[in-house]
Amino acid sequence: MCAAVRTEAAAAEPRSRTELVLRRQAPWVRARRGLGPYLLVAPAVIVLVAVLGYPLWTLASLSLQHFGLKELIAHEGRFVGLANYTSIFSDPVFWTVVLRSVAFTVVAVGLTMLLATLIALLLGHVSRPLQVLLTSGLVFIWAIPPVVAVDIWQWMFDFEFGVVNWALTALGAGHFIHHNWFALPLEGFTVITLLVVWGAIPFVSITLFAALAQIPRELVDSAQVDGANGWQVFWSVTTPILKPIFLILISLSIIWDFQVFTQIWVMLNSRPGSGYFTMAVYSFFESFRITQYGLGSAISVVTVLALLVVTFFYVRQMVRIVEAPL
Amino acid sequence: MGTTGRRRGLTRRQRTRLLANLTGLLVFALLMFPAYWMVATAFKPGRDILRLTPQWFPVNATLANFIDAVGRPFFLEDARNSVVITLSALTISIVVAFLAAVAVARFGFRGRAAFVVIIIAVQMIPLTALIIPLYLLLDKVGQTDTLTGVILTYLILVLPFMVWTLRGFIINVPVELEEAAQIDGCTRFGAFMRVLFPLVAPGLVATSMFGFIQAWSEYIMAYVLLNSQEKQTLSVWLASFTTQRGTDWGPLMAGATLTAIPVVVFFLIVQRNVVTGLTAGAVKG
Amino acid sequence: MKGKQLAIGTFGVVVALLTAACGGGSTGSSQPTSLTVWLMNGSAPKSVVDGVNADFKAAHPNTTVKVEIQQWSNVTTKLDTAYAGSNPPDVVELGNTLVAKYASAGALKDVGSKQSSFENSSTWLKSLTESCTFNGKLYCVPYYAGSRAVIYRKDMFDAAGLKPPTSMAGLLQVGQSLMNTHRSDANFSALYFPGKYWYAALPFIWDFGGDVAVNSGGTWKGDLSSSSSQQGLQQLNTLVSTLSRADKTGDELKQDQAFAQGHIAMIIANGWEVGVITGANGGDPSLTGKLGVFPIPSHVDGQTAPVFLGGSDLAVSAKSKNQDLAEDWVRRLANTKFQSQMVTVGGVIPNSTSLIALQTDPLASVFASAAKTSRFTPNAASWANVESANVIPDMLVSIFTKQASISSATQSADTKIGQILNTGS
Repeated sequence: MCAAVRTEAAAAEPRSRTELVLRRQAPWVRARRGLGPYLLVAPAVIVLVAVLGYPLWTLASLSLQHFGLKELIAHEGRFVGLANYTSIFSDPVFWTVVLRSVAFTVVAVGLTMLLATLIALLLGHVSRPLQVLLTSGLVFIWAIPPVVAVDIWQWMFDFEFGVVNWALTALGAGHFIHHNWFALPLEGFTVITLLVVWGAIPFVSITLFAALAQIPRELVDSAQVDGANGWQVFWSVTTPILKPIFLILISLSIIWDFQVFTQIWVMLNSRPGSGYFTMAVYSFFESFRITQYGLGSAISVVTVLALLVVTFFYVRQMVRIVEAPL
Repeated sequence: MGTTGRRRGLTRRQRTRLLANLTGLLVFALLMFPAYWMVATAFKPGRDILRLTPQWFPVNATLANFIDAVGRPFFLEDARNSVVITLSALTISIVVAFLAAVAVARFGFRGRAAFVVIIIAVQMIPLTALIIPLYLLLDKVGQTDTLTGVILTYLILVLPFMVWTLRGFIINVPVELEEAAQIDGCTRFGAFMRVLFPLVAPGLVATSMFGFIQAWSEYIMAYVLLNSQEKQTLSVWLASFTTQRGTDWGPLMAGATLTAIPVVVFFLIVQRNVVTGLTAGAVKG
Repeated sequence: MKGKQLAIGTFGVVVALLTAACGGGSTGSSQPTSLTVWLMNGSAPKSVVDGVNADFKAAHPNTTVKVEIQQWSNVTTKLDTAYAGSNPPDVVELGNTLVAKYASAGALKDVGSKQSSFENSSTWLKSLTESCTFNGKLYCVPYYAGSRAVIYRKDMFDAAGLKPPTSMAGLLQVGQSLMNTHRSDANFSALYFPGKYWYAALPFIWDFGGDVAVNSGGTWKGDLSSSSSQQGLQQLNTLVSTLSRADKTGDELKQDQAFAQGHIAMIIANGWEVGVITGANGGDPSLTGKLGVFPIPSHVDGQTAPVFLGGSDLAVSAKSKNQDLAEDWVRRLANTKFQSQMVTVGGVIPNSTSLIALQTDPLASVFASAAKTSRFTPNAASWANVESANVIPDMLVSIFTKQASISSATQSADTKIGQILNTGS
C-alpha cells in the first residue's frame, strides 16, 4: 500500500483557491486500483449495508404485501404483488397528496433559496459587529431542535394565547383575535411553510455567505471596472462560481422539504386532517394510524423513486464530477 | 446607477452601508423573534404565560420554570444519554466517513460511481418509513431499548451527508502535500493521517456540526426504540411536557432552551471553523 | 432469503463490535425472571405502584418488576412496534378505545378463563368490561375509569343568582343569562366548547337515543344521521353557537388553562381537570373552592345524560414469556386494596361499582356517579381507525362552522364510519 506510484512530478503550488477549484483531481492517484480504496470504503459500506440493507429489503417487501397490525405482530404478511401500488395510484387522494407535496416543496425551497441568498448577500454588506450578531443569531435558530421549534411556533400562533394574533390585531392588520390558523389548510400551510423556511435559512444562508466570501475580490472588481452594476455582477460573476453549491443546496432542500413530516405532525397535535397530508405524513398515517403497513411502505417507496427522478439531474452531475477523467 | 454611484462614491457607499445595517437589524429582529419568544416564555411565571394579552418582556422574571424542568424525573440521565448517543454516532461517523471520503476523492476504483449514487440516494429515504424495518432488525439482535441501537440508527442518518461533504474538503487539499510527506518517508496511510487529516479538520468540524444537530434533535426513532425512561434522550424527555392534561408551556420552553444550549455552545466553540469549513467543502461540489 | 440472513449476520457482527467497544448493553444472562410493565403517564400514583410491587415481590421474590411510564402522544406508534417485537412488555395499560385494535390483531392474551380469579370481577364497570371484550373473549382487566361532567364557577353562578340546571333546556337558559351578565367581556364563554371535542358531544347524541354506529347481523352502520342523533346534535349546536367563544375548529387540550383565565363559566371536563385548573402550571390556585360540578343534564328534566366512559385497562401480552406472573401483577393492581387507593389517592373512578362509594370528595363523587350511566364507543376492531381519521371531530367542526347542515354532515360521517368499521384491518 505504501508503494504509491508517482506518475507526475508535483505541479507548482496552486496560487489561489480558485485555481484549485478549477483544477481537476490529482493526477497521482489515477492508476492505482489496488486493495487500498476498497479497504477505505469498506467500513462505510459495511455500516450502510448492515444497518440499512435489511430494513430496505423489508421496506420493499412490505410494500408488496397485505400487512396490517395482525401481520406485523405475527411477522407474516400475505403477498399481493403490486396491489398496494395500484391501489395508491388509483386513489385520487394520493394524487392530491403528491400535488400538495410538490407545491409545498416548490414554494418552500424557492422561498428558502431566495431569502437565504438575500441574507447571505446582506451579510456581506453590513458592518462587522452586526455580521457577528446576525451569524450568531442564525446559529442559535439552527440549534433549536425541530420538535421544539414547532412547539414555539404553535405557541406563537395559538388561537387564544398566541402573540401573532394579538400583534396582528394591534398593528391594525385586521381582526385576528380568536383566529385559528389551522382551520383552513391553506393558512395552515402558510404557517408551516414559514416555519420550515425559517428553520432552513440558517444552514443555507451561512453556507452561501461563506461561499460568497471566497469569491476572489479581483473578479468582482474587474467586472465593476467594466461597468457592470451590482445585479450584473451577481449574475455574471457570482452565480456561475456558486453554481455547484446552489445545486447542492437546492437538491438537499428538495429532498428535505419533500419529506416534511415533523413540522406538520407536531404542529397539528399528531392528528392532522387529510388536508394536511404530504407524502411522509400520508405514509405515516397509513402505517401507524390505519395500520396498513404495506400501503404505507408502498407510499414511501414511491416517495424515494419520485425524489430520484426529480434529482436525477443532480445525481448525474455529481457522478460526472466524481468520475471526471483524472 | 453605475455612473451616479461612481460620481458620489463615498456618500453612496455610506448610504448603502447604513441601509444594509438597518435592513440587517430588521432581519435579525424578525428571524430571532421565535427564539426570543421561547426564552422569554421560559422566564415567565405560569400566570403571565397564559394571558389573553401577551406580555412582551418577562416582567416578573423567574427561574421557576427551569427549576421545574430540571427537577423532572430523568433529566440528568436523559441528558447524559443524549450526549453519549450524539458523540458516539458522531465519532464513528467521522472516522468511517473520512476513510470513505478519502477513497472517493483520491482513488479511482470500480464501483465508485455506484457508491456515490447510493450515498446520495440513502438521504432520500424518509426516516419515518424505516421505523418498522429498523425496529424489526434491532429486535432480532436484541438491540431495542439500548443506546447502541439508537447509535446505529443515527449512523445512517449522518454518515451519507458526511461522506459527501468530506469528499469536497479532501479534494481541496493539494495532493502535492501528501506526496511531499511520502517522500519524507511516510507511508501512504501515514500521509493521510499526518497531512490530510489536520488540513481537513475545519471541514470535519463543519460536517460534525451538521451531524451533531441531526443526532441531538432526532425524536421519532429515539421515541420508538427507547422504552425505559432512564435510557431516553432529551428530545423524548421534552415530549413528556405535553400530556393529555395540556402542555406545560413554561417548563417546556425552559427545557427547550436548556436542550438548545449545548448545541449553541458546541457551535460557538467551532464557529470560526464552521464558516470557512462549510464553504471549502461546498464550493467544490 | 440467503441475502437477508447474511445481512442480519453482518449486522450482528457490527452490533457485537460496537457493544464491545462501548462496553454498553446491559443484557444480563441467566438472571431470575423480570417483568416489564408499561403504565401511562399520570395514571397511577407512585405510592400505588410501589405498593403493588412490594406485595408482588413478597409473593415472587425472584422476579424483578420494572415499571416504565409511557407518554400518551403517539402511543400507538410505540405499541405497534413493541408488539411487533419479540419482547413486548408483559403488562400494558391500554386506553379503553385501543383494546379492540390490539385484541383483534392477536397482541393480547385471552384472560377470560381466569376472570373469576380477579377480585370484584362480578362488579366491574360495565363499560370497561365491554371495552375488554372482543368476539366474546376477555382480553384485559378493567383498571380505572374517567367520566365527564360540567365544571362550573360557583362564584359566577351566585353572582347571577343561578343554580345548576337540571335539564338541557335549563342549561341553555342558565348559559344565556350568564352571557347576558358578562356581555361586556368579549372573551366570555358561558359554556366553553371547542369544536373538535367529540367525547363531550357523545352525551348529547346518546341522550336522545342516538348512537355513533350500530351493529346488526355483523355489519356496522353509522347511526349519526338517525333522527335521534341529529336531535342531540341540534341541541348541542344551539348551545355552542349561543354560549361558546371557544375555537370552533380547535380541540380541548387547552380548555383547563383557558378556564383558569377567568372568562369561562362552564366546561365539560374529566374529574382530574379540577386539579389542572387549580394547579400552579397554567392554572389558577385561587380558584380552589370556587368550583362546582354537576352532571350533564338530560333533555328529560331531572335525569342526566349518559356520558362516555374513558379509562384504561390492563392487558397481558400474548408474546409475554411470563404470562402467569404478568397476570398476577395485574391481579394486584386491580384488587380491592389498590383500587381503593386509586380512589382515595388517585381521585379516579375505580374498576368496580362496589368501590365507587369510597369517593367522598364532593366534586369527585359527582364524576363517579356519572359513571353509572355511561356508554362506550362501538367495540369494533377498526374503531381506532375511525378515531384516527378524525371522522367525528371533522363532522362537528363542519356543523359548528356551518359549512354543512347537520343532516349532510352526519350522513357523510356515517358513510365513512360504515366503510372503516366494515373493512377488517
